[in-house]
Amino acid sequence: MPISIEQKEARLGWKLVAPSLGVIGLLIIYPILYNLYLSFFDIKLTGEKFFIGLANYEKLLEDTAFYGSVLTTIIFLIGTVVGSTVVGLFVALLMNLQFPFRNVARTIILLPYFAPVISVVFGWQFIFDPVNGIYNHIIVEVLHLTDQRHNLIGDPNTALLVVILFDIWKHFPISYLLIISKLQSINRDQYEAAAIDGCGPVVRFFHVTLPEIYFVLGTLVILRLIWNLNKFEEIFLLAPNVKTLPIFTYYAAFTGIIDQGFAATVSVVQFLVLSFLIYFYVKKVLRW
Amino acid sequence: MGKRSFLQNILLALAVGIVLFFCLFPFVQILSTSLKHQFDWGNPSLIPIKINLNAYRELLGLGKKDDVAIPDSIKRLLDNPLLTEEKKNEIISKYKSTSDVFPFPRYFLNTFLLSASAASISLILAVFGAYSFSRLRFKGRSTIQRSILFVYMVGGVMLMVPLYQMSVKAGLAKTVWGSLLSLLLIYIIQTLPVSLYMLGNYFRTIPYSLEEAAATDGCSRIQAIFIIILPLSIPMLITVFIYCFIIAWNEFLFASVFLKQFHDFHTLPLALQSLFVSKNAIWDRIMSASMLTLIPVIFCFMFVMRNLTGGLAEGGVKE
Amino acid sequence: MASVELRNINKSFGSEQVLHDINLEVKEEEFVVLVGPSGCGKSTTLRLIAGLEDVTKGEVIINNEVVNLIEPQHRNIAMVFQNYALYPHKNVRENIIFGLKRAKAPKDLINRRLERVSKMLELQDLLERKPAQLSGGQRQRVAMGRAIARDADLFLFDEPLSNLDAKLRHQMRTEIRRIHREYKTTSIYVTHDQVEAMTLGDRVVVMRDGHIEQQGSPMEIYLKPNNIFIATFIGAPSMNILDATIFPEFVDLEGQKLILKNMFSEDSISLPKEGKKIKLGLRPDFFLDENFVSKDASLTTIRNAHIDIIEPLGFDKEFHVQVGSQTLKARLDLRTTAKEGEKINLCFDMERAHFFDVETEKSL
Repeated sequence: MPISIEQKEARLGWKLVAPSLGVIGLLIIYPILYNLYLSFFDIKLTGEKFFIGLANYEKLLEDTAFYGSVLTTIIFLIGTVVGSTVVGLFVALLMNLQFPFRNVARTIILLPYFAPVISVVFGWQFIFDPVNGIYNHIIVEVLHLTDQRHNLIGDPNTALLVVILFDIWKHFPISYLLIISKLQSINRDQYEAAAIDGCGPVVRFFHVTLPEIYFVLGTLVILRLIWNLNKFEEIFLLAPNVKTLPIFTYYAAFTGIIDQGFAATVSVVQFLVLSFLIYFYVKKVLRW
Repeated sequence: MGKRSFLQNILLALAVGIVLFFCLFPFVQILSTSLKHQFDWGNPSLIPIKINLNAYRELLGLGKKDDVAIPDSIKRLLDNPLLTEEKKNEIISKYKSTSDVFPFPRYFLNTFLLSASAASISLILAVFGAYSFSRLRFKGRSTIQRSILFVYMVGGVMLMVPLYQMSVKAGLAKTVWGSLLSLLLIYIIQTLPVSLYMLGNYFRTIPYSLEEAAATDGCSRIQAIFIIILPLSIPMLITVFIYCFIIAWNEFLFASVFLKQFHDFHTLPLALQSLFVSKNAIWDRIMSASMLTLIPVIFCFMFVMRNLTGGLAEGGVKE
Repeated sequence: MASVELRNINKSFGSEQVLHDINLEVKEEEFVVLVGPSGCGKSTTLRLIAGLEDVTKGEVIINNEVVNLIEPQHRNIAMVFQNYALYPHKNVRENIIFGLKRAKAPKDLINRRLERVSKMLELQDLLERKPAQLSGGQRQRVAMGRAIARDADLFLFDEPLSNLDAKLRHQMRTEIRRIHREYKTTSIYVTHDQVEAMTLGDRVVVMRDGHIEQQGSPMEIYLKPNNIFIATFIGAPSMNILDATIFPEFVDLEGQKLILKNMFSEDSISLPKEGKKIKLGLRPDFFLDENFVSKDASLTTIRNAHIDIIEPLGFDKEFHVQVGSQTLKARLDLRTTAKEGEKINLCFDMERAHFFDVETEKSL
């Protein structure tokens, strides 16, 4: 049967997109389902699998380390998302003003984002090193805030703070970029009208700026939550004792007592949380 | 509104200064320490008292093999007369010829080849896929577009267990080349959704009438992709390539999972981390290794910056 | 040269039908203009002929061959787009010879064509430039050069002049006519500008809402419009359409009796004695000032038209007058000295008047 031009187009469409779909199906869709499947098994080092039903899940629910990890993750998420958004907003407002060499400044602030994690993470470790690091030097010798040098990274309690700070440093530029592109599209007239109406800079911020960037901020928060839930390198390389969910999963899967079935279970839980966030993002923010 | 007061200018300068300091300090610290001798490391000043290029020389394989920074603690150990010559040599050799222990050029090459291959394949797949759902009309197109975004957000850390298991099952994880192949595939899948998304958006900005004109001029659709679309997309293609390249370059988790046992084939992130763990007092070497992994990325970054603006299709079509 | 035939063409976009039973024939070497208001389906028709859109029902026939399933690149057509669609990354020379290179024409043929086209369209100095460096008129000429260089059997023009200013449009119109005279390529030209339609076409096809309202030579359409839409669409200034009642002997317009000469033969429509409501169509240029008309000319007169506004147009003036409750426009030459607020008598030849049923037909 002869095919119309439209049909030819449709066929070509499918042909061109098939390789990508194939790769995605094989390496993302299938693993997700396979992961779910694996979570019902006890996987030995030899590769043998024994079906144990929901035993992994029971184990998970009883595992205090797991709950600890969840708590750590939540603190991490809140700290980093709020932190990087606030810093990003501040920097965006700053960079929206005119001053000499502004373009240079704008390029410099993007550096933390583009630098590979591996390249900067040891620098950060050095800064907080109890022996050589400048942090301790300043806190103890210069400012005299405490009289003892602290190993912030070694101590699991403070390591989380360092990790949060590192993540904010690394990722505020992307918040900055998204916010400033919206900021620059706000018409000057709105500010001028507000100024004429007697509003000072703070009031102008709340009544003109904030409503305009509200949508961008919302998008940003959800996106950062989703991204940070998946973060691994930044945390693991800087302070592996901070056990957010991905790190927890990694330890379960590849170190110590290797239990890949259990790790799969944790991944399933993470996937559910992530799906919820994505669904929320797509429905509420993107309005699909 | 209007001109700023002197005080406001001071505050502005201060704020900008703080932000820039915040951004740049870690980089400066890395550079500074990489150039310092050991006795200098604890020195809070950023400027080395005496510049030390040994670390760079070693990493790049340029220096004498004996020029090794042996930590003080080990030196003291070596001075102990009770140690036999043999034992002393054993200890020293651990610190000697570190260019064998950390062959920077080799790791650089590994990472480069892997990242470049992954980025290239990802780009090619993405060009065809993105063209397809941005230009061609077929049923199910919008479903595919939406699922790309979903897949992008999901792919990653959560796949570590199943992907590893799949690789083991396929017998790939045991061999070097199998592991490299697995890693290549994983890097492709981590970058493909984003590439599709970015290219899809970009292709949509190219006026459709250009392809129609090409059609009436005798081009088939595929020919139109190569002759019209691709030349007009070059900045975006490069940007996408660099983006994929950087993602692969920085990647640690899967590299560690698959390549840990194959030391010669380590990528830079993996090698750096092993270096750190094995010799944790040799800061200058670590810092110089950090610098060396940093520099190519900075170059790519500069390039991308320059190309983020610009409408290439200007002039071809009446707005 | 190609001949084109559209047979029972219907086209729908999804559930919306935009073309209804279009039947059209274009003979070899003809220059046909499709004209109509925005949304009437003329561009869609053109794109169907080009192959850029699929046909829902019906056949597109080029050179006696049904081409529905043949893709645009194989139909041997050349098209000039409204927004020029020049390849931005290629210079003018490459744009022009693009089609020839695709067809793998021999080098000397390409060079000859290039020379001929660039000389004809005065593009010789611009060959190395890229589209972004050209003005609108220059780009349009390159677009035309690109089409001509191919020496295709069929030229399709999709509102190519609508983005140019009036003066350039005038110039390009002449260019297009000259090119057609020289090459005699079958051409189908789409526009919403009726002046272009009238000046360029061997034949004009007026379209509205996906239907062909009328086809014919420009003069035919102008002198014998089938309905009110065409009558008012074609011709500038547009025809006056007035409410009137027709009786066997005369037409009643606002109380004035306008005598009908024996224009209606017995076998045309019989006129009811009680009078039939009609629409009377009078072009503004039909009118003459009574003062300048010789007394023996058998013209009908509308009396005591009240002058509202006079628009001077240079060589004549447009009078907006009021007759009873209706307004009409008349073009009178400069001899008339009447002023706004005064009254004037207008004469016209009843034989030239158009009569329309209260929507459709004409019965003269």
